[in-house]
Amino acid sequence: MKILVVEDDAETAEWLRRGLSEAGHTVDHAADGRDGLFLASDGGYDVLVVDRMLPKLDGIGLVKALRAAGVKTPTLFLTARAGVGDRVEGLEAGADDYLGKPFAFAELLARLNALARRPPLSAEPTVLRVADLEMDLLKRSVTRGGQRIELQPREFRLLEFLMRREGQVVTRTMLLEGVWDFHFDPRTSVVETHISRLRAKLDQNGAAPLIHTLRGAGYVIRAP
Amino acid sequence: MGSSPGRKAFGRHEFWRTTAFKVTLIHILLTLLGTIVLSGIAWWATTRFALQQIAAEVERDTGVLLQSAQLGGPRSLALAIEARIAADPSGTQYFLLATANGTHLAGNLARAPRGPGWETLQLERPGPAPPGELLAFGTPLPGGAFLTVARDIAPVRALEATLLGAAGWVGGAALLLGLGGGVLLGRGATRRAAAMEAALARIEAGEMTHRLPLRGSGDDYDRLAARINATLDRLASLMTTLRQVTDDIAHDLRTPLNRLRQRLEAGLRSGDTQGASEAALAEADKLLDIFAALLRIAQVEAGARRAGFAPCDLSAIAESAAEVYAPAAEERGQALEVAIAPGITCQGDRELLTQALANLLDNAVKHGRQGGRIRLALDAGAITVADDGPGIPPEERELVLRRFYRRDAARSTPGNGLGLALVAAVAELHGMALRLEDNAPGLRVVLALPR
Repeated sequence: MKILVVEDDAETAEWLRRGLSEAGHTVDHAADGRDGLFLASDGGYDVLVVDRMLPKLDGIGLVKALRAAGVKTPTLFLTARAGVGDRVEGLEAGADDYLGKPFAFAELLARLNALARRPPLSAEPTVLRVADLEMDLLKRSVTRGGQRIELQPREFRLLEFLMRREGQVVTRTMLLEGVWDFHFDPRTSVVETHISRLRAKLDQNGAAPLIHTLRGAGYVIRAP
Repeated sequence: MGSSPGRKAFGRHEFWRTTAFKVTLIHILLTLLGTIVLSGIAWWATTRFALQQIAAEVERDTGVLLQSAQLGGPRSLALAIEARIAADPSGTQYFLLATANGTHLAGNLARAPRGPGWETLQLERPGPAPPGELLAFGTPLPGGAFLTVARDIAPVRALEATLLGAAGWVGGAALLLGLGGGVLLGRGATRRAAAMEAALARIEAGEMTHRLPLRGSGDDYDRLAARINATLDRLASLMTTLRQVTDDIAHDLRTPLNRLRQRLEAGLRSGDTQGASEAALAEADKLLDIFAALLRIAQVEAGARRAGFAPCDLSAIAESAAEVYAPAAEERGQALEVAIAPGITCQGDRELLTQALANLLDNAVKHGRQGGRIRLALDAGAITVADDGPGIPPEERELVLRRFYRRDAARSTPGNGLGLALVAAVAELHGMALRLEDNAPGLRVVLALPR
């Protein structure tokens, strides 16, 4: 992926550049909002990583200007201020995701991957498939190998969240936010417990496991 | 002493600059003005009345004399005049009967007025006595003669003098009394203000426990001093809390920082940098969690979040929280009983309410009895979270709401001692009353919804 990092703190910018490069991405860097806007509007980036507080033009202004100019590149806000109000303001300005500092690098990687591969809204599928697992979003039903699997509403949402991101790493925080709407860490094993229950329901009768745990990163659903 | 800079900044103590002095001065001036106006009115009214009296007597005498002239002619009039002069031993009545060309016919008055009607005449007295004044009334008689009746108005002048003297005495007395009273009252007030100022200067200099003196009379100075003392008490308690929070933060952050350091040091010594880094990372995450929680509490306490209040579906929040914690409760063999009335809403911050409820459930799961029961209830009046664990003794229920306060019994369980502090702050922000009660056995936390 081609990623533009707009970050004024040189050390953080270097850390991001190196980490993203090591993960196989091409990284450009802008140190202030105006340069960032200039580079981003030139286009060609798969995703933007924008610090909230920037000299010359702050992150909100940058994203607003981009969206006004019709540039729809997915954007992730990085910020030291991750209060509810700040997050809402950022999303309203046109950002697609929001990550509070400090964060784990794996979290950033997972979110950037999810952002870049977000399917266009017009092509919303009605059936999701991973190997022989099938989810019908209209009938709200799940089958594996033709066998119907009964899921609780929350389990259904959890599975849908994973299946929409087939092959991508989904972090614990992403699940808490996306499935439970919890924007803080409830410090319980709720995600783990729900995942293990879901696994038990999906992998009946010795079927090959579909949900995999990536230690220190999160979960991924993919064909065995 | 440290009090001098404070004193210098507000100027020296000079009586003429005090409020008491100014009030006294204004008071005296007003008293004097009042005396002058009152005396003036009295003087004017009294003199006018006395002169009217004299004029009435003159008119009456004139009438009587004219009557005798009508009855007996000029001769009888002259006789009547002489008789009246003889009958007036005090010598204040004056008469003159003269012909048209001024020839004196009868009477004790040297000069006639210039014409008919009222006139004031000068009266030359024999000897060193000062000249007097006469109020005279001239009447032309048929046949060309001219009758003048006059009275000495010395009594009126004497009355005036007496009045003036009296006014002087009254004014002088008012001045003296006002001055004396003003100084007395003023010195009392000034002394008390000075005492308050001195006490405040000592507090300013650092004697934080010193308070303003009270007399116990309940007057305005006492009430002011009591109010200032109450304000100082409140500030002192806030300062104590702040200091304690700062101490707690410093202390409670030192422990995980120290662990972080130990992990890194052990890693360097043993060469297991991979393991040490992972352990250090976990410690750093814990520290960051603490910071996030502290910041959030501070943010909630500052009240800034109130601006973002919106209608919240409490029932949905409670359902969601119950679902999140159900697995954790199950893991500890606890039964989570849920009794949530549908459709309960309130004005608030959904995320904070969620987190407060999550913290309560987290506590119930962690500190409740293993294999016990946890109850989450929501109705129109309150949110209740109850467990059947060891509970919290009454004397500690206030303390557990403080930042970093961890009961000895809770030290073995994971946690940073900030959960209930956040719940308390969120409750306060939403106008909810937070109560910790005995669930016999266990702890019952009640968040009473605002009416």
